[in-house]
Amino acid sequence: MLLSRVADNLYWGARYMERAEDTARVVRSFTDLILDLPRGVASSWEPLLAVAGSREEYDAGHVRAQESDIVRFLVADQSNGGSVVSSVASARENLRTTREVLPREAWQAVNDLYLFTSRDTESGVDRRSRSRYLGRVMTDCQRLDGVLSGMMRRDQAYELWRLGQMVERADMTTRVLGVRAASLLSAAESSDDFDEVQWMGVLKSVTAMQMYQRSQRGPIEGASVVSFLLFDKTFPRSVAGCVQRMRSALSRLPRPHDTLPAVDALEALLATLPAQATDGVALDEAMDRVQAALADLNMRVYETFVGGTP
Amino acid sequence: MAELRTSADLWDELLENDGSPRAASSQLVQQLKGLGLAELQQRQDLAELDIVGMGITFTVYSDGRGIDRAWPFDVVPRVIAAQEWRLIEQGLAQRLRAINMFIDDVYHEQCVVRDGVFPAELLAHSVNFRQECVGANPKFGVWAHISGSDLVRDGDGTMYVLEDNLRVPSGVSYMLENRAISKRAFADLFAKQSILPVDAYTDELNRMLTSIAPDGVSEPTIAVLTPGIYNSAYFEHSFLAQRIGAALVEGIDLVVSDDDCVYMRTIDGLERVHVIYRRVDDLFIDPEVFREDSTLGVPGLMRAWRAGNVAIANAPGAGVADDKVVYAWVPDLIRYYLHEEPLLPNVPTYRCVYDDERQYVIEHIAELVIKPANESGGYGLLIGNRASRTELDDAIARIEADPRNWVAQPTLALSTVPTLCDGVLEPRHVDLRPFILSGATSYVSAGGLTRVALRKGSLIVNSSQGGGSKDTWIVEA
Repeated sequence: MLLSRVADNLYWGARYMERAEDTARVVRSFTDLILDLPRGVASSWEPLLAVAGSREEYDAGHVRAQESDIVRFLVADQSNGGSVVSSVASARENLRTTREVLPREAWQAVNDLYLFTSRDTESGVDRRSRSRYLGRVMTDCQRLDGVLSGMMRRDQAYELWRLGQMVERADMTTRVLGVRAASLLSAAESSDDFDEVQWMGVLKSVTAMQMYQRSQRGPIEGASVVSFLLFDKTFPRSVAGCVQRMRSALSRLPRPHDTLPAVDALEALLATLPAQATDGVALDEAMDRVQAALADLNMRVYETFVGGTP
Repeated sequence: MAELRTSADLWDELLENDGSPRAASSQLVQQLKGLGLAELQQRQDLAELDIVGMGITFTVYSDGRGIDRAWPFDVVPRVIAAQEWRLIEQGLAQRLRAINMFIDDVYHEQCVVRDGVFPAELLAHSVNFRQECVGANPKFGVWAHISGSDLVRDGDGTMYVLEDNLRVPSGVSYMLENRAISKRAFADLFAKQSILPVDAYTDELNRMLTSIAPDGVSEPTIAVLTPGIYNSAYFEHSFLAQRIGAALVEGIDLVVSDDDCVYMRTIDGLERVHVIYRRVDDLFIDPEVFREDSTLGVPGLMRAWRAGNVAIANAPGAGVADDKVVYAWVPDLIRYYLHEEPLLPNVPTYRCVYDDERQYVIEHIAELVIKPANESGGYGLLIGNRASRTELDDAIARIEADPRNWVAQPTLALSTVPTLCDGVLEPRHVDLRPFILSGATSYVSAGGLTRVALRKGSLIVNSSQGGGSKDTWIVEA
C-alpha cells in the first residue's frame, strides 16, 4: 500500500537527490577539466549552464558569465531551484512527508546532507574548498543509495524511488551528451591536442571514466564514448541502462500497461540512433528527442499514480 | 565535582532537602557528582548533536512561517521510584475508566445529570459537547483512547493531576526519543540498574488501535490522520505512523464512498481504512458536519463512523470531558461510576457555580489561580498573587457575571530537578505527562514526558515557550 501523495513525494525526492548528485559531479569534473587545459583553450564556463539545463534561468538574473557566478548559481543559489543546495533542501522537504515509508537511516542521511550543504554554501563556490564540498555531496547521496539498497524492502516505495532516480539520471546523461559530446564532435575537424582530455571530461562528468576504460581497449575515442554512454546497458548511468531500470521498476508497480508504452517509446527512439555518432548536431537533436520522451514518461507516471494533471 | 543545589521550600525529584540523594536516584546522583560538570556538559553536547542528526524536531511559528527547531532536551533525567509509580499508574487507569464512562453516559442517558452528580446547565454550555455524537456507540464504550494527563508535585511531595488531555495530546514520541538519547548519554547507568523500558508504548498503541477495529476485521488497516507537515506535532505523527506501521494520511488522501466506508487513495486505487488515529481536532474532521471551511478533514467521515465502518481514536466528542469544569468533577465521577475512592488527587479546585465555593474564591482570590473553564492554552488565566487589585476586582466581577465559566485553584510550588544551565546544575521546575491507552484494557506508559521550565523561577514548561524536556526513569530502588 502506498498513498498517491506519498508516491509523488518519493518520486520527486529521488529526482532531487539525483539532481544534487549529478550537478555536483558535473561542476566538479568541469572544474578539474578547466584546470587541465592551458589558457586560451575552451575556458568558458557557460557549457555548464547548458548541461544543467539552466541557461535561461541564469540569463534572467545575471549579466556576467564568470566562473564564480556560474558555479554559485549551480551550487549555492537558493533562488535557483536546480542548484545543489536547493535540490537537497527540496529532497528533504519531500522526504519529511515520506519518513514512515523509508528506513530511518535514509532520513538521517538526507538530513545530514541538508545540514552540511546549507551551513556554508560559499565553500561550494570557492575553488579551494569546492572539490571537497561537492565530493561530500556525492558521497552522501551514495550513502543514501546504500541505505536504500541495503535496508529497504523491494516494495512500491522502493521501485518509485528508483524510477525517479533513473528518470533524473538519464536526463543528465543526455544533457552531457547533447551539450558537451555534441560540441566536441562538431569541433572534431579542428581537432587539437586536448581532444582526449575533453572526452575524459565528458566521461568523468557522469563518473564513467574507469568503467569506460575497462570496457574498451585503446585510447579514448569520441564515437565510442558516445556509444558507451548511450547504449551500454551494463553501465548504470548510460541512457539504455537507466531505461532498462525504469522498465523493471514500472513492471513491479501497478498498471504497467498504462506506463510501459512510454518506456517502449524511449527504447524505440534509442534504437533509431546510429551506433557510431559522428555528427554533433544530429546527436544534440537526438538527445532533445530523448528528453522529450522522458518528459512524456514523467507525465504518464503522474497520471497513473497520482492522478489528474500536475 | 558537580555540585547539586535545591531550593529550601521546593521538593526536588532527585534530592532530599539536605541535599542527599533520594533512594531511587542515589546511583544517578553519585554518577553526576563523579562525572563533573565538564564531562556532563560534553554528554549534553553529544545528546544535542544526536537530536539534530536524528532530525528530532518540533515546529514553531514565526512571521507566519513554520520553522523546524531541534527538540530541547536536558541530559539530567528525572527519577521516580517504581513503588510510587505503580500507584500513579493505577490512579491514572482508574481516572480514565471513570472519564470514559462519563463521556459514554453524556452521549446516552445522562444518568450522571439525572442523579444530580453533574449539573445539567454545565453540560448544556459545554463548548466541547457534540450534538452529532449523541447515541453513537464506539467499541467497549471507550471514547478517549489516547490521553495524556499532566501531573505536578507540590512542595510537600504530593503528586496531583493538573489536567487531563483527551483531544489530541502530543508528546509521546519525545518521551520515546528522549530515552533513546539518554541511553547513549548514560549507557553505564542503564547497564547497572533496573530502569523500566518505555518502548512498549507503540506496540500497546498498535494493539489498542487494532482492538477497536469494526467487528469482523482482525487485521485492520490503520491510518494516522495528520493536519500536515506544518503542524507543530508533525514529527510525532510521522514517528508514530512509522512505529506502528500505519499509513500517515492527510484529509486529501481519504475519501468516504457511497457505501459509507473510508478509503485512502493509493497507487493501486482506493483501499479501505478501518481505524483512524486522528491528530486533527473534532471541528475539522468532517466539513459536512462541523466546520465547512476545513480542508484538513474528510467529507462524510462522521457518517462512516456512526455507521460503525471506521473507528476513530479519539472518538469525536471525547473532548467533552477535556475542560476545567469536568476536571473539577473527576473525583466525584470516580466515586459515582466506579464506587471507588480516587487514588490520585486533583489539585483542589473551587467551582464557582456552587455558592459556597464561589464565596471562598472571592474571599481568597489573591491566593488562587483563576481559570476560565472552557479555554485551553492559558488564555484568560489570572494568577492572584501577581495581579493588581483592579485586576482582581475585574476577575471577581467576571466570576459573578458568569459563575459556571470559572474555577479556581491554589498556586502550587512545582517540584524541581537539577538541570544543566550555562554549565552548572540548577534546580528547575518540572511537570510530567504520562500517556494512557484505553481500549478493551488500559495501559499507562512507563513514566512519561517530563517537561522542564529552563528559565530560572519559570513555571512555563511548553517547548514553544522556552521549555525543555528530560528523560523520565522509573527505577526499582
